[in-house]
Amino acid sequence: MSNKPILVVGGGPAGLAAAHSLAAVGQKTVLVEKEDRLGGAPILSGYAKLVPSGEWAKDAIGSMVTRVEKHKLITVKTGVSVSECKGKAGDFKVKFSEGKGASFSSVVMCTGFTHFDSINKPEWGFGTYEDVVTTTQVEQMISSGQGVRRPSNGDKPKRVAILLCVGSRDRQIGREWCSKICCTVSANLAMEIREELPDCHVYIYYMDIRTFGLLETKYYWKSQEEYKVKYIKARIAEVTSDGDKIIVKGEDTLVKRPITIPFDLVVHAIGMDPNIDNMLLSSIFDVDLETHGFIDRKDAYGELGATSRPGIYVAGSATGPETIDDSIAQGTAAAMSALVSSNSKIAAE
Amino acid sequence: MAIHEKHLIRPENIRTHDNLVIDGVDVSGHWSTFIETRVVTDYNEALEEEIAALPGGEYIHRCWQCGSCTNACTVNAVNPDFNPRYWIYLIRMGMESELLRDKDIIWQCVSCNKCTYACPRDVVPEGVMKATAHWLEMKGHTEPSNSTIFDEEFTRQVVKTGKIEDGRILMNFLKNSKQPLVQDWLVQMVMQMVKHLPFKYLFGLGWATLFAPKTKRWAKTRDAIEEHIAEEKAAERAALGLDPKT
Repeated sequence: MSNKPILVVGGGPAGLAAAHSLAAVGQKTVLVEKEDRLGGAPILSGYAKLVPSGEWAKDAIGSMVTRVEKHKLITVKTGVSVSECKGKAGDFKVKFSEGKGASFSSVVMCTGFTHFDSINKPEWGFGTYEDVVTTTQVEQMISSGQGVRRPSNGDKPKRVAILLCVGSRDRQIGREWCSKICCTVSANLAMEIREELPDCHVYIYYMDIRTFGLLETKYYWKSQEEYKVKYIKARIAEVTSDGDKIIVKGEDTLVKRPITIPFDLVVHAIGMDPNIDNMLLSSIFDVDLETHGFIDRKDAYGELGATSRPGIYVAGSATGPETIDDSIAQGTAAAMSALVSSNSKIAAE
Repeated sequence: MAIHEKHLIRPENIRTHDNLVIDGVDVSGHWSTFIETRVVTDYNEALEEEIAALPGGEYIHRCWQCGSCTNACTVNAVNPDFNPRYWIYLIRMGMESELLRDKDIIWQCVSCNKCTYACPRDVVPEGVMKATAHWLEMKGHTEPSNSTIFDEEFTRQVVKTGKIEDGRILMNFLKNSKQPLVQDWLVQMVMQMVKHLPFKYLFGLGWATLFAPKTKRWAKTRDAIEEHIAEEKAAERAALGLDPKT
């Protein structure tokens, strides 16, 4: 093993997996996290039950956090970010925001994503009407134990609309990518709502349903067949209010008719933006961004997780919209690449 | 204002007042023409639940609108207005008035079940068509169809006697569906039978038509079946909000 430690940047699912994998094979590792605690989006944003395991985020990701915090070979620095990364593969000179510096043989960037801010889609009423919320807020309503309620008056909603592709697949706001997980997350939330409030009808407004792979039956089919969630093919044009109900306007494309339907609660299925700090991260670590603004992956088939700069690797939703499971897998894969890069003996063979 | 592309609008959605004065301005006749809105303003969740409560309609909520049923449909090939996919959607979203526009063609389903085999989600569209036709009759939107009248007579005889008797079923069916008892095809058939059937079969047929024999010790079974049918019918009517409690 290289006697220099490896640096993992970001303490979300990918970073936790990378740090744990490195430590598990005897590699000294430093994990820096700019927030005051580990766990990344699932913990910081208070997700409820994760897809597809159905486990509570605080249990599933919480156990990953504990595993990392307890490991002797991992030094965890929270509330710390990287301000400089000079040098080259095998000997990176890194400075931290707290002022200290250290030398690392390689770096794994697990810098994650930023939730789309619905305020950038003003025609859909977020920020104007209290009863227009995001999927993250509904996750929080469930994980906090409060239950799904109308923020305006605390009532149980009788009818909920979930709008898909908020901040995704939308050239008007410069976000042309599919955020990959929102369809499944929305189907999951729809079932959670129906479970908690059986009298509440849930409608999902979609352009396409992308519950890819095995998520098809577990979420899309199940939500329709067992939970009677209704899917309507319409991209909503406008969200307004009559003072009480939230009025959703659009076109029901299957019957070619305009719709103006009242709802108690409207939920934006918000997408995944590139980390809001990606321009800064790109300049600090000297790595290229791809066209959408995520960190570019150099090599899909050879050196997993490679970026444009040798010795610096990337994993998880820093590279584009990603599931938690895949982020964990990528974290582990990038750890392997970093390990190989750090150890000239292994690399030479 | 005159509407130039009138053919694009359903006639019943064009409204004109012969005598109308608004704020002192006379807008009688075509000056007051306006078009009724097509906007869907609400979902009626009860409609899907009503159809789902009838035999055949149970799986309607599975539909994801792929159109395989309509594409496979025997009747649709002949009549493009016959569109099971569309009706399933209207029912699921509760667009009752739209559904009623097609009330006189929904019964045309020939139960070939091609849709049933095409459907990737096991909605059983043929069952939904049956349930929908049933719903239309129960709600009084359509007259009982000939097939319903036939089924009723058939069931009545089976329940009453434990047997069916062809001649009686035919006679009562024609009578109940207000068709003449003497039909050309029937005369032909009877003449052929008289000509070709051995005497003992003919005698048996005639005897059975006259005396309507019953299955032995049938009464108990009959009572049980009648009770069951009454329960089922009551449940269906309750699901449709008919017979409100008085």
